[in-house]
Amino acid sequence: MVHRLSRRTFLRAAGAAACGGLALPGCASDTGQRTFSARAHPAADEWKNRIGLATGGDDPGRNTRTAIEKLCGKDGVRTFVKDGDVVVVKPNIGWARVPEMGATVDPAVVATVVGLCREAGAAKVKVFDNSVGTDAKCYQFSGIEAAARQAGADVFLCARHRFRKVAFDDPRCKRLTEWPIYGDVLTADVLINVAIAKTHNLCYVTLCMKNLMGTQGGDRGKMHQELAQNLADLNVTIRPTLNILDATRVMVAGGPSGGRKDQVVAARTVVAGTSSVTVDCWAADPANLPWPKGHHDLAAVEFVARGAEAGLGTADADKIAVSA
Amino acid sequence: MAKRKKPRHPLHVLRIISQLVFFGLFLVLLVSTALGTAVTARPWLAHVFLITDPLILVGMTLAGAFTTALLAALAVVVLSLVLPRAYCGWVCPLGTTMDIVDKLLFRKRDRSKNIAPRLRQVKYGLLVALLVLAVFRLGVFGWFDPLCIVTRSFSVAVYPMADHVAKTSLVAAEESGIGAAADIYDWAAGAGLFIRDANFKEGARGVGYPWSFTFAALLVAIVLAQAYQKRFWCRNLCPLGAMMGLLGSVSPLRPRVSDKCVACGACRKRCKMGAFEPADGQERYRCLVQECISCYACEREFCPVDAIHVGAAAPRVRPAPGILPGRRAFLGSAATGAVFAPALLLDQRARNKAETNPMLRPPGAVRPDTEFLSACVRCGECMRVCPTNALHPSGIENGIAGLWTPTFVFNIGYCEYFCGITKEDVEQGRLEKPANLCAMVCPTGAIRQLTHPEKIAHKIGTAVFDHSRCLPWARGEECLTCEEQCPLPDKAISHRYEDVVNLEWLAMPQPERHRYEELEAKESLTDAEQAELDAMPAKSKRIARPYVLRDRCTGCGTCENVCPLDGASGIRVERLQTREIRATGVGGQQRQRRRRGRGGPR
Repeated sequence: MVHRLSRRTFLRAAGAAACGGLALPGCASDTGQRTFSARAHPAADEWKNRIGLATGGDDPGRNTRTAIEKLCGKDGVRTFVKDGDVVVVKPNIGWARVPEMGATVDPAVVATVVGLCREAGAAKVKVFDNSVGTDAKCYQFSGIEAAARQAGADVFLCARHRFRKVAFDDPRCKRLTEWPIYGDVLTADVLINVAIAKTHNLCYVTLCMKNLMGTQGGDRGKMHQELAQNLADLNVTIRPTLNILDATRVMVAGGPSGGRKDQVVAARTVVAGTSSVTVDCWAADPANLPWPKGHHDLAAVEFVARGAEAGLGTADADKIAVSA
Repeated sequence: MAKRKKPRHPLHVLRIISQLVFFGLFLVLLVSTALGTAVTARPWLAHVFLITDPLILVGMTLAGAFTTALLAALAVVVLSLVLPRAYCGWVCPLGTTMDIVDKLLFRKRDRSKNIAPRLRQVKYGLLVALLVLAVFRLGVFGWFDPLCIVTRSFSVAVYPMADHVAKTSLVAAEESGIGAAADIYDWAAGAGLFIRDANFKEGARGVGYPWSFTFAALLVAIVLAQAYQKRFWCRNLCPLGAMMGLLGSVSPLRPRVSDKCVACGACRKRCKMGAFEPADGQERYRCLVQECISCYACEREFCPVDAIHVGAAAPRVRPAPGILPGRRAFLGSAATGAVFAPALLLDQRARNKAETNPMLRPPGAVRPDTEFLSACVRCGECMRVCPTNALHPSGIENGIAGLWTPTFVFNIGYCEYFCGITKEDVEQGRLEKPANLCAMVCPTGAIRQLTHPEKIAHKIGTAVFDHSRCLPWARGEECLTCEEQCPLPDKAISHRYEDVVNLEWLAMPQPERHRYEELEAKESLTDAEQAELDAMPAKSKRIARPYVLRDRCTGCGTCENVCPLDGASGIRVERLQTREIRATGVGGQQRQRRRRGRGGPR
């Protein structure tokens, strides 16, 4: 005689399971890593004031490859990506704008970086951003999701629960004490920061240093009170192995969200550097990129100075060694 | 449990399959179109249950808000003429929900004493009252329509609750180290089963569904009322069921009780609708076709002498007295509706100085608001499909008549700039298609479809700074998060650098402030004096202060949503001023529904 499960028993068991499931959060312990552990570039100290530069042409992918080679030498990405590495590429996918609007990184630049990492033997290349706009729309409109997937990257939207509270306890951090950072950034072997060059309504320009805000969770509006020091603290704690600035197009007004094609200027430039501060110092200089006249001068871009104070790079345009 | 005594009628089996198929379809449509994931391609799919609802068709026609899409309901009307209340027994998701819960919880419960035949009349009275209110241009029958009830409850309560429980369990398991949980989570998120949590930013002040508890409680009440009678709602309260029952009274395919009947009353006890009553003056029972939902259980399973057959030829029997409301009861219901209508209308008008646009409505919502109240059936479709979860049921802040009509809660979401538009649409200039998802799923055209250029020219409301809260205005701290995220190409928020009082300076005791001013007034300072002055906080500081450019603002609410203040934002979207409606020509959208071709889903 087959033992038949009575309805009462079933309902009791189901109820208990449900209660247990709801009670789990109380007994779960978060085992996620809470410290940034990606490797620095082996020559990071040596190249603190150095950038690689590529200009001209109509192929942003080629410029990306060239800029990296100018910085790292013929071995390019292989100077810091080893076989079996888990690489996180963090492009600006912040806004639901098509690439021509210059609000997000050119998809070809992202695809090239992904391809280079895979060629160098990376086991996994992850591409993501904690977008400012509606995430799925930003990923689609920017063209980055499609291009990165095609290049073989693992592209994903942020899941709310995978941010980890990181302690900002480096003595150089003057304002931030802790902030949630996305888990995959913390566990990566290599972090590549890929930014777009735009104006910004609060800090005049947004470049590599500010791009790292895409690794942050929490209420990022609260970063805006004394933004310059907050960005320096962020860059002290989250240190990319390599920074790439996509200046194929430069948004010169209405930044950072943009929306008018006539406010985007073709600059056909890609910059690479191990120091986000040095890259930003070069790029913020009105002599180097087509910023509008009278918009700002290098001295007004305070986050570069604060980053230099923290020893992350230089705020002095004359000290930068440009390898072009 | 004893084996079933008699095998089921094949149509009974088919009916159960049909219920499950339609319920499954309902759930699939619910999940796949929530938050705008799959609506763009086939908008009519999202609301197919509602546009085939005859009560909505009749009610909207009476309210002067008819749209051609509702003609799909004629198919159901024809079905109801042929097979009495087949919709209730074969299709209605609320009915299926009730049947499932009944089987799980109340199967053994003896409810045979709870017949209460007069209670059935309430639904007819309710139907009449609601239709009279519709004649008075109030679409409030949506509160009681079962399809609206089930859409609202599942969209605002059941699905978010299930989503929350599933996510919480999986996240807890993942954080306890169970790697498989992370894979399941990612699979479910990728398959679109979850409500996209990428939309709910950590920084958003409120994440959630303000009416989830109420709708869950109401659904539970409706379903658990079966403790008293099976299908309590369907028997006694459902206005749609009442309407279809009346249509079905001409049907030939009804259960008929033959002369074999021995008046044992078994059918009356077993019928889930209690549709069998003793026939007047005869020692036998008869089936009330207005109550029958064509479940086909009676033909084989109820009668010990096999006296019941569906569709057998027999003269049509008039409804016995006491089943349908008499003339007095009918007039009473009509009068009730007629009395309440002006009360509802006056209640709304009393709360607003100008009734034109008292609430923040979805973009494309018909104006003035009184027209919107006629056309909206409070179904909750727009709330479910909004990709940022910005639309929610309103309460009675605008009068009782507005209950559960959609309004924006910008603390939770914002009106997405490129809603309904894809990357390819922008790149290929395909911008003449409908761009507001809320309008695409609205079954009655209460929200008009707008193209992308129309939508970004449409004003929902206007953003206004709260100078007592906004950081640069109230505390002299820099921010500009609102300006940063304004999605318009020509930003509706700008800023200017201004000297503001430094609160640190104000915090100095008066003697030190006096010293500061002394030093400041001096022509030239010694090194020591200069050092002393430098050590004090500056009297004022220069920060960027934001301003709204009202003409450009569309009231999308992005600014209010992203403001970093806890509690109420420093910038909030307010209702439009009447003169702004007229001046910007937005008032031209009034009475647009009269243009039949433009209104409603395409």
